[in-house]
Amino acid sequence: MLTPVPQLLTPALSFLRRIRAFVVRDFQLATSYRVEFGMRALSVLLVVTTFYFVSKIFASDSGRFPQWRAPLPAWLIGLAVLNYFTVGFSSLANAIRSEQTQGTLESVLMTPINVPSFIVTSSIWDFINATFISFLYLFFGWLFFDVTYQGNFLTAILLLLLTTFVLASLGILSASFAMVFKRGDPFGIFIGIGSAFFSGVIFPTELLGSGFQKVSNILPTTYGVDGIRRVLIQGQTLAEVREPLLILCLFLIVLLPFSLWVFSRAVRRAKREGSLIQY
Amino acid sequence: MLDVQNISHTDQHAIQPITNHDAPAVRIEHLSKTYPPKLVKLKQLFRRPVTPPVEALRDVSFDIRAGEIFGLIGKNGAGKTTLTKIIATLVQPTSGSVTVLGCDSIADETRVRAAVGLATAEERSFYWRLTTEQNLLFFARLYGMNTRDARTRIDELFERFDLTQYARRRFGELSTGNKQRMAVARALLSRPPVMLLDEPTRSLDPLAAASMRAVIRSLAQDTPPATVLLTSHNLAEVEELCHRVGVISQGQIQVVDTPANLRAQNSEHAQVTLTVCEVSSAHIKTMLTANTLDHYDDVKFDITATFADDANHTPQTLITFTMSDDAKTLDKVIRRIQTAGGRIIACHTKRATLLDVLEAYEGDGKS
Repeated sequence: MLTPVPQLLTPALSFLRRIRAFVVRDFQLATSYRVEFGMRALSVLLVVTTFYFVSKIFASDSGRFPQWRAPLPAWLIGLAVLNYFTVGFSSLANAIRSEQTQGTLESVLMTPINVPSFIVTSSIWDFINATFISFLYLFFGWLFFDVTYQGNFLTAILLLLLTTFVLASLGILSASFAMVFKRGDPFGIFIGIGSAFFSGVIFPTELLGSGFQKVSNILPTTYGVDGIRRVLIQGQTLAEVREPLLILCLFLIVLLPFSLWVFSRAVRRAKREGSLIQY
Repeated sequence: MLDVQNISHTDQHAIQPITNHDAPAVRIEHLSKTYPPKLVKLKQLFRRPVTPPVEALRDVSFDIRAGEIFGLIGKNGAGKTTLTKIIATLVQPTSGSVTVLGCDSIADETRVRAAVGLATAEERSFYWRLTTEQNLLFFARLYGMNTRDARTRIDELFERFDLTQYARRRFGELSTGNKQRMAVARALLSRPPVMLLDEPTRSLDPLAAASMRAVIRSLAQDTPPATVLLTSHNLAEVEELCHRVGVISQGQIQVVDTPANLRAQNSEHAQVTLTVCEVSSAHIKTMLTANTLDHYDDVKFDITATFADDANHTPQTLITFTMSDDAKTLDKVIRRIQTAGGRIIACHTKRATLLDVLEAYEGDGKS
């Protein structure tokens, strides 16, 4: 017999339960691949070790770049931050893509959850995971190779969050693209390759030369990585990193409303074409 | 009828089935769906051929009454799944409207989704590496249920679908039949008043299919009964379960009626075969074809002498004739045989089936 349902819920409580549902589900899925989980942690350790030896070779010639006097902390911070940024950018599109490829998108969208809520809640596990991996970069550096960090961690986190939100706005554009065209996402290619190469993750952007440095200047990740390094390596204060902070705020003000507008158009189009659950 | 317009997003679970059985639970009005060709301008630019738009549904209108099991039959590509997905809000119509318990499927999308449960035969719609319980718990939380209520509901559903023993087993390890039951169990999690079942017995063995049919039948016997839209290629199943059936062909609803009326519209006659012994074939022939039989001038009898499939090869007579559905002819024929000393040992009646109906609409008959 069908009896009346349990209880009435406030929207906030309901939203929190949905977040929990996605986090618990993704944790359960992640821990069902135990070997892969361990291998990922091991790969981070290998990368850290590799860059430790690379830093020994090139350390002597990096004196003219204040952040690169000791390249290892610069690399570790760059990689930790890049990992986080990549997730910020790609997880929203991946949320749709992975449910599409698993075949579960239709059943999730049959519940009273709207598409934007679904994308945000289902990408939260990716952020938790990225936080852990980024932490491992910094932690292994400190634990095994005597890397020290200075400055205010809260300021660094503020810069990290701001850059992540900017990248999430680009991620929303990417998700819109994935929803309509399914594959061949140009934002992914541009941001993925661009961030690693042009944003100063592996080497100072000044080495790029003036032509390529213009590309570097239009990438939000450049300001994010630079700001966080200024705090953690050079020990700069909030006031001293206001320039990258303001630029990131500007990116956010422009990109967020635009990406939300594009996203709503993409959802409408996918439903009209009946292609929301195709991949 | 319950006024679901005033139900807020948060109390969506309170949506209850309407109790007036003549009121429509689902109303479909002038619904059309055309899938447009993709990237037309780009293809035109590169002078690539542009595929024409696909008209999946054309001006479809019908109601599904509260508490009924409504069957939708048609060939592959007829538009059944598109129609189901539009009701489920997964696809937007090009024109026309769908209302579920008075809520528009576009304007009140979230409420409609809360009122509708969809179960398909798609096995990949679950997380295969999670257990059956973890799967249902995840979906229950998406419906906003707290863990305690969700577990209680899941236990009820496990019991109802005989899945309790598989609660801790990964979904991927279940048999096809149990996966199918899980799909229906998930659709029932939030106690939706309207159930959409898209080929729920596809790929099931006969026993599992029978078990699933019992489940579907039980939905309509719940208090209050759920309204069910059932699409299936198993026409015997549709005939067995559905109060009314719609025939859809090339995106258009051809007819909606009860299975009995659909059969009657297709053919008012039934073919009867009687097996008679203890009287000669010649005698039966004389007796049945004589003009003395009132009102039987239009009945043509095919009388064949044969032998029983037993050790003695007992002589038998097979009498085949066609009659209208009222059975008066059969009654009189039987009486006449018995008066002549014959003993009827078997009687088979073959009526038009939904397959005949479907063929009539799909062929060049009525469509």
